[in-house]
Amino acid sequence: MSLGLYVHIPFCSAICNYCNFNRGLFDAAQKERYVPALRAEIARAGDGSAADTIYFGGGTPSLLEPAEVAAVIEACARGWALAPDAEITLEVNPETITRERLAGFRAAGVNRLSLGVQSFHDTELRRLGRLHSAARAEEAFQDARAEGFQNISLDLMMWLPQQTVADWLDSVEALTALGPDHASLYLLEIYPNAPLRDEMARARWSVAADEDAAEMYLSGLDRMDRAGYMQYEICNVARPGRASRHNLKYWTDGEWLGFGCGAHSTRGGVRWKNRSATDEYISAVASGGQTAIEYRRLEGEDRLEEALFMGLRLNAGLDVPALKSRYGVDVWDRHGGELQPFVEAGLLIYDGRSLRMTRPGMLLANEVMAVFIRSTVR
Amino acid sequence: MDQAHIRNFSIIAHIDHGKSTLADRFLELTGALQAREMEAQVLDAMDLERERGITIKAHPVRLNYTAGNGGQYVLNLIDTPGHVDFSYEVTRSLAACEGALLLVDAAQGVEAQTLANAYLASENELEIIPVINKIDLPSAQPEECLRQIEEIIGLDSSGALLASAKEGTGTREILEAIVARIPPPAGDPNAPLKALIFDSWFDPYRGVVIVVRVIDGVLRTKAKIRLMATKQDFEVDDLGVFSPKATPVDELSVGEVGFIIANIKVVADAKIGDTVTETARQTPAPFPGFKELKPMVFAGLYPVESHQYAELREALEKLRLNDASFFYEPETSAALGFGFRCGFLGLLHMEIVQERLEREYGMDLVTTAPGVLYRVTTTDGEVQEVDSPAKLPDAGRIAKLEEPVITAMILTPAEYVGPILQLCQDKRGIQKKLEYLKSDRVLVTYDLPFNEVVMDFYDRLKTISRGYASLDYHVTGYWESPLVKMDIMVNGDPIDALSIIVHRDAAYDRGRALAAKMRELIPRQMFEIAIQAAIGNRIIARESVKALRKNVLAKCYGGDITRKRKLLEKQKEGKKRMKRVGRVEIPQEAFLAVLKVGTES
Repeated sequence: MSLGLYVHIPFCSAICNYCNFNRGLFDAAQKERYVPALRAEIARAGDGSAADTIYFGGGTPSLLEPAEVAAVIEACARGWALAPDAEITLEVNPETITRERLAGFRAAGVNRLSLGVQSFHDTELRRLGRLHSAARAEEAFQDARAEGFQNISLDLMMWLPQQTVADWLDSVEALTALGPDHASLYLLEIYPNAPLRDEMARARWSVAADEDAAEMYLSGLDRMDRAGYMQYEICNVARPGRASRHNLKYWTDGEWLGFGCGAHSTRGGVRWKNRSATDEYISAVASGGQTAIEYRRLEGEDRLEEALFMGLRLNAGLDVPALKSRYGVDVWDRHGGELQPFVEAGLLIYDGRSLRMTRPGMLLANEVMAVFIRSTVR
Repeated sequence: MDQAHIRNFSIIAHIDHGKSTLADRFLELTGALQAREMEAQVLDAMDLERERGITIKAHPVRLNYTAGNGGQYVLNLIDTPGHVDFSYEVTRSLAACEGALLLVDAAQGVEAQTLANAYLASENELEIIPVINKIDLPSAQPEECLRQIEEIIGLDSSGALLASAKEGTGTREILEAIVARIPPPAGDPNAPLKALIFDSWFDPYRGVVIVVRVIDGVLRTKAKIRLMATKQDFEVDDLGVFSPKATPVDELSVGEVGFIIANIKVVADAKIGDTVTETARQTPAPFPGFKELKPMVFAGLYPVESHQYAELREALEKLRLNDASFFYEPETSAALGFGFRCGFLGLLHMEIVQERLEREYGMDLVTTAPGVLYRVTTTDGEVQEVDSPAKLPDAGRIAKLEEPVITAMILTPAEYVGPILQLCQDKRGIQKKLEYLKSDRVLVTYDLPFNEVVMDFYDRLKTISRGYASLDYHVTGYWESPLVKMDIMVNGDPIDALSIIVHRDAAYDRGRALAAKMRELIPRQMFEIAIQAAIGNRIIARESVKALRKNVLAKCYGGDITRKRKLLEKQKEGKKRMKRVGRVEIPQEAFLAVLKVGTES
């Protein structure tokens, strides 16, 4: 299987109150140093093997200039045997792009956009501290189409502060009206120290009950079904042939290399992570030092466990005989006893070959996945 | 040592009224410790004590004091435990003294415990010297304290001394008063040996150390001694005094205080209150007042990890070496597995044992709600003591059920009397006395079921009186009560560790509150969970925990699979810390829910 290449861009124009990804405020001078560091890291890692995806994630990768994106893509193309039809994704925030910039990204080689819309209600966007409006998101999408992007994904989030099931379905309707090729529908997770928590407390905002959150998920996906999308992963739907080839590598036990600060890689049974701090990363590259800090060799059962809990995220689920031939373990023989209650509760399906979650099961994916984790006394 | 130059005294004080600080000043002034050696509060030796600022039990200290009259005196400061759980030990410590300092915080005034211990000191005919401490505080009201000492305790306050132990003011005056006003020990140096044991502990190198006050006669090394209650004989290896470091001496004569090491293996052989005499020439009668200490409060202790059972047993064995007053026996719970039923002198004692097990022995414990010792007369006339709801015979076999009763003394500012009386009534109390004292204080005396006090009485007393009411109590007997066993069932399975014994009239409210609390504590699971409270076959309350509908479906982009693994591992770990009963995972806090519900609804 070909490699995926991930490029992390840690800059944002504003820090969203719910986000805990590796990011920082945009600093033009820092960016000037960061992009060359990225290219140097990529050049050093390149070994000529086959790669078929590049994914610019962040942060806000669309804060880069088209020329900078082009330079990074070029560096990738020099380092690996990049497939001619490689999927090259750029995460885009609606407020950061113009027709001109979109044209530039397209010319640089980007052929897939992932547009961080999150909601089509302005009040909801404001509560999240997003810089764009619903109208701006629609305009950005139309501009991208006009510039020839044929593979566009939109992100939406449900279970937002004060959001009702009806509010959520409004956003889903607005999304289907635009007709992107792919969509990701997430439940907002408010991590323990998120500034959003304080804001919610001050403004007395709350999120809907769990039952309603479950309803948002199920009815949202139901709308997507009816609009002709196929769910292929817990949170992802696509028109036929438009599933994210890059993200599929994570879920199908594939291999990928990550570049930039805090980027994760998996190759040859080892997972590792780059330094998170942007400046430390830049100096490590400049001095020819180690960019990676956390290495984890997938010992023994680790790899199987991770293949199981990642693979279960897919609608196709786990191919039990294929796993057996690869790992020598029959998943159902080993875990069937613990999984049976999930099957009986209608959360899991096992047909003797594939083991997969139903939609209500996907809502409780962690309960099922925890079954695969050995007790941690090692 | 010349008997006329010995003074044996205790300090009676409420928690935080400054006993340990005053003791430190004594050590400093008598040169027992140089100031630079002093770590604040030397006398409180155990960590736990220092953290809580309460003294459970401190060594006696021998102070060499040159008085204003030029005479050389030995002053023995004998500590009294500062908590009602240890009131028997207080009586034995006071019995070893001729006098006591009654220490009152100038800002707080007299509290119930001060009062109770002052009464004990009076009963023991001790000379009491009132000391008003903390006069440096801006909120100090020494005049008010003096009035309270007169009116509440009934002591002449004209000889009271003013002090600030923190700043060292008044220390010398107090020592002079001890010399001048506390009588020297009586006792006959030529009579057969009679010495009172008022403390003992286990030292891993020396074996049991017993601390005595010689009442009559002389104690010498190599003497053959007999402990009269246990009728065991030992040979004295070493004698010594604490000054404050252990210092060997050849003899302890009448009136002196010191320690004996005599190759005694377990503290249970050297019981507090027992009398030491010579084997060959025994004193005709032991020192009066000896009692066998009996645990009053019982709870189940279970290891969180069942494989720690053997370790827990070992830890309990070791603790018991040093603490004869707690008891344990194996117990099995369908819900919690293998553990131990343990008995304690009271709630503080229970907390201490629990904390020591966790801190010193690294145990993770699940503790069930504490209960008291019931007395059951069965229909065939047999009388049993029941320390656990699980051991209660079937209702049909019970002819009579009795519960322990305490007499509680509550001292409170008058404004809180109304709510306190209401609380005592709610807790099934019977009023004995209600005395309005002049300084706006009221002394409320009630008989109360001990079980209610074990539940949440103290916390509620403190809450309704904004911390101003103080409580002292002792168990005074048993009374018959219409008590029933209430079970909690989860998805139809009774959870034995959650059963409680409760008054029939309170059962309905308690059951409802408990079921509601359980609903809060049991996390949602894959299916709906029914929680029921039942008396026999009758369901008195029901609640349900709705089925779990969603997890956090975190974004797993950027290929950070390690993070996802950690999340799942944490989830798995969380499950491990729960006890699985049938299909239901029950968190540990749920087993203590009984304590948290009281009758607050």
